[in-house]
Amino acid sequence: MTASTINNRDDLISYLHVALALEHATIPPYLTAYYSIRSTTNSDAAHIIRVVAVEEMLHLTLVANVLNAIGGKPDLNRPGFVPSYPAYLPDGENDFTVDLRPLSPEAVETFCKIERPGQAPSADARLVRTPDSGSPVLAFSPTAEGMRFYSIGEFYAEIIEGLGKVAADDPKLFSGDPDLQVGPEYFYSGGGAVIVVSDLDSACRALRFIAAQGEGLDSGIYDADGELAHYYRFRQLQLGRYYQVGDEPDAPSGPPLSVAWDDVYPVKVSARLADYPPGSELAGVARDFNAAYGAFLALLTKAFNGQPGLLQDAVCDMFRLRDGFNRLVRNPLPGSDGLHAAPTFEIPAAFGSDPEAAPAAGERTQGVTR
Amino acid sequence: MTAPSFEEFLSLSVDLTAFEETVLLGTGLARDYLAKVQAACGDEVVTALLAAHRAARADAAVDAGGHDRALPYRTLPDRALLDRALRHRIFSDDRLGPVARNVIKLWYAGMWYALPPEWTDRYGAHAAGETSTVTAASYQEGLLWRAIGANPPGAKAPGYGSWAQPPRIEDRYLNGATK
Repeated sequence: MTASTINNRDDLISYLHVALALEHATIPPYLTAYYSIRSTTNSDAAHIIRVVAVEEMLHLTLVANVLNAIGGKPDLNRPGFVPSYPAYLPDGENDFTVDLRPLSPEAVETFCKIERPGQAPSADARLVRTPDSGSPVLAFSPTAEGMRFYSIGEFYAEIIEGLGKVAADDPKLFSGDPDLQVGPEYFYSGGGAVIVVSDLDSACRALRFIAAQGEGLDSGIYDADGELAHYYRFRQLQLGRYYQVGDEPDAPSGPPLSVAWDDVYPVKVSARLADYPPGSELAGVARDFNAAYGAFLALLTKAFNGQPGLLQDAVCDMFRLRDGFNRLVRNPLPGSDGLHAAPTFEIPAAFGSDPEAAPAAGERTQGVTR
Repeated sequence: MTAPSFEEFLSLSVDLTAFEETVLLGTGLARDYLAKVQAACGDEVVTALLAAHRAARADAAVDAGGHDRALPYRTLPDRALLDRALRHRIFSDDRLGPVARNVIKLWYAGMWYALPPEWTDRYGAHAAGETSTVTAASYQEGLLWRAIGANPPGAKAPGYGSWAQPPRIEDRYLNGATK
């Protein structure tokens, strides 16, 4: 057994910041696939992706609750919080690429990899050296330099073990302000009940819930509540059939489902602002979206730092972002052979340091790019 | 006769609706709308409308260039010059005016309204010219909702409690009025 990479509260806080960024990083790829679907088509695929994306938002909130419970300070406007796409996630010994893609077999393959059950062959193999030439991997260790985890599951296993270890040494570990917790009264229709974290038990429950909902670790394809794990939700799109209780992992026997891969806007994969014609109206719209997204993350940061009531405003922002997303993907991207535009998620630097100074969502902030 | 150009229809629509091209394309319905106008009025009328729009643009550009500075309208801003040219070339035209007004209504309401009987008696009726919706999506993509900063009732849910907030109308559509 290798030594734990978590020895004190500061280590835990560093890890939970990585976890917060990791949970968020899955959302733009899911949303890009979701909003690439032409309206009134592909209701099966749209529903599956939407359910998972919403549950990732719950995971983000749960990590924020754990971070607050041990006296950390969630910050969704930290530089680098939103990764530059393509991003990289661990898949055992290798990394895989996470792009912003339209709904496609490649996108679903990526989603399966994101959520795939991955247990290291031994405790020694939990940490893997990041290749020197490699791009930054999202599930990295903030305390063991140059190391990243075998899988997202192993990443959370390390945090859960670290919590137990530090809590045993430090009885005051869970001394965060209880008023900072986001409770069920502020989080609705979000793919499960939010867990208020006040001690080791509730912290471990919150993190195990994240790992189980994504990967179905230990619990088979359905969890204790009868909910299908994310990995198997996406497998349905590959196998063309829904699961039902009692099914084996590779043999769903429920009703068939079909995916119309062509009823999708062919958005450019991991588009960047640099792909937009400089100074064009469309580039302005793409920048406006990024600014609005940055303002939205600033609002979530406030909600996670003592104003949970703001989550209601954040929901309204999400609907505005939805409309902005739809407008972009319906626009052809000039000079890209018929491919369409999509949000680039390059968040303006203005949101990095001082959220108070950031412009409100929807305001023009041309020229403020990273 | 060549088929009406989509790009020219888009350019016409920008001038008729005062919404940017990205917003019009962002409805996902621009091609459906061109097809609807063609089916309802015939290609000949649409082609003539697009030609009149080209001519109006050219008139406005010439006027803005200031060939005859003695003319009183030379002092008008470019937008007013275009407005003037559109009224002259399109809206005062017995054949093209009603079609152009219908294109505006189409974008704003997502509905094609039947042209008046005076028009169809004179220029011909098409089966597709009856009052009708274009697609199931056109109601919710109507520009009128964007123009007034509201969501289409029953669609595009804006979030619980959002109705307590004032409408967000972009500055460029306020025409100098304050919020």
